[in-house]
Amino acid sequence: MAEIGKIMIKVPGAIKKGDVIPVKAMVVHPMETGQRKDAKTGNLIPEHYINDVKVYYGSDLVTSMEWGIAVSTNPFITFYLKADKAAPLKIMFKDNKGGAFEQTVQVNPQ
Amino acid sequence: MRENIKLSRRGFIKATGAVCSAVLMSGAIPGLLKPVMAAEEQIDIKDALKKLFGDKKIETGHVDLDVPIIAENGAVVPVTITSDLPMAADNYVKNIYVFSEGNLNPFVAKIGLTSVNAKAEIATRIKMRKTSNVRAVVETSKGNLYQNMKEVKVTVGGCGG
Amino acid sequence: MKKMLVLLLLATPLILSCTSSTASRKEAKEEKGVQEYVMAVDVKQFEKDYAKVHGNELKKMEEDGNPGEFILEDGKDMFHKVDGSAGKSCASCHGENGAKLKGIAVNYPKYDDNLKGVLTLPMQINMCREKNMGVAKEKSWKYGKAEITAVELYVKSLSNGMPINVKTDGPASKFYEAGKKNFYGKLGEWNWNCAQCHVKYAGRYSRQEFLPPAPLLADHWPSFRLDWGKEAGMHTRTIQDRFKGCIKNMRVSDDKIPDFETEYMRNLELYVTAQANQRPQHVPGFRR
Repeated sequence: MAEIGKIMIKVPGAIKKGDVIPVKAMVVHPMETGQRKDAKTGNLIPEHYINDVKVYYGSDLVTSMEWGIAVSTNPFITFYLKADKAAPLKIMFKDNKGGAFEQTVQVNPQ
Repeated sequence: MRENIKLSRRGFIKATGAVCSAVLMSGAIPGLLKPVMAAEEQIDIKDALKKLFGDKKIETGHVDLDVPIIAENGAVVPVTITSDLPMAADNYVKNIYVFSEGNLNPFVAKIGLTSVNAKAEIATRIKMRKTSNVRAVVETSKGNLYQNMKEVKVTVGGCGG
Repeated sequence: MKKMLVLLLLATPLILSCTSSTASRKEAKEEKGVQEYVMAVDVKQFEKDYAKVHGNELKKMEEDGNPGEFILEDGKDMFHKVDGSAGKSCASCHGENGAKLKGIAVNYPKYDDNLKGVLTLPMQINMCREKNMGVAKEKSWKYGKAEITAVELYVKSLSNGMPINVKTDGPASKFYEAGKKNFYGKLGEWNWNCAQCHVKYAGRYSRQEFLPPAPLLADHWPSFRLDWGKEAGMHTRTIQDRFKGCIKNMRVSDDKIPDFETEYMRNLELYVTAQANQRPQHVPGFRR
């Protein structure tokens, strides 16, 4: 089931070489702020959030992000990429509790 | 008759008022009176910016910020930030910062780009604690800073679709 | 003593009028059934008005990335997963990627002869698993849980874009009328009913809530809701879950909210879904 760390990456289907394409990514994560109380126990739920995101296109690090607690639950991000080579696009998410999740899609410009 | 009712109502308020203030003074329920977030202090946006950029001047312009006027839900506010600055190999938008000024910690995210991104545009969804400005700061590879901000109204409650 | 007398005198006409009005209301009910309200707003007008205030925020988010799609993927996996003593999966009978199920889900909920009542899609799925896949009855997926919601979502998605076509005549009419009675039945501390918000005052505000008309209520379930989205997992839920939320908002105490898959819920689902007849189904929805 949709457990923490499940990732969905969307890139356009047909890409021409040199196109600037949108990359949309979603990841299942609670993004706990540490400010929310457990409804049953009344205790604060400890912080649990993705703080580090890295995007590799082939072997190049093309985008890197730092996130705080205020990125929404089940984070969503769009960025762009110049598709000038056929290469895997890998997105890696790391959270403050040591969780690491990654997914790769192939970018194949014609 | 009316006078009677009025009097008794006044009496009731007096009585409850007395009980309330007694409870207040005795401090019988201190937990209830404390603000919920007492442990954490609100960080001012000015301090947050100063910590990141020092005394560097942040200019207005070159940043387009697309946010809703009234958020459907403060926990998920879509934000799109676009800049018309170049994305060349030697001169590009290096970082896009997102702030939500009403949050205890206004810092939301920092997105580091390279010229391979080719387009200085990002979109994400953010949590907003209350009605406040969303601020976007763009930092170029040459170290110039540009910003834009817009207010987003956050309402609480309702039943939703 | 004097005070009491005055009070009593004052109250008498009130008591009298109360009793007489309930009596006459009862009579009206018996004679005419449910007195329907006039729909206050045109659907297209509502959508225009809504966009004026909120723009296309939700639509854009739905297109960009709907977390409901994670649940949809789960549903697809489960659909193709073998379960039960017969060694079959849903796909064994209904085709790879549900090829033979296109256009089926828009007919649900529907009248079922064996049940002598309304059969919802999740019930159908469980029945199918039990009868054809040999899944033990006690392993039946409980309504509202992740598995059944995911599979319901997947099966419904196979009919996306097709007009909803719920039968309300023939043997279904009795249950449709019962559902209507639920829709118009007063509930809770405020003595509200569903129709008040979604028919009589649709297109107006209740606090900051822009009240959607009845035809817009049922074409998008199971849906992702921002409000449920505060939790990582169960953010995509079903129409009956939404009914529960609505009924709770009407100030019905928790112990009096009807359970999933009760006659009340199923009849209501039939009635509400029928209000969306002819509208294209699109799941998973994306709501605030």
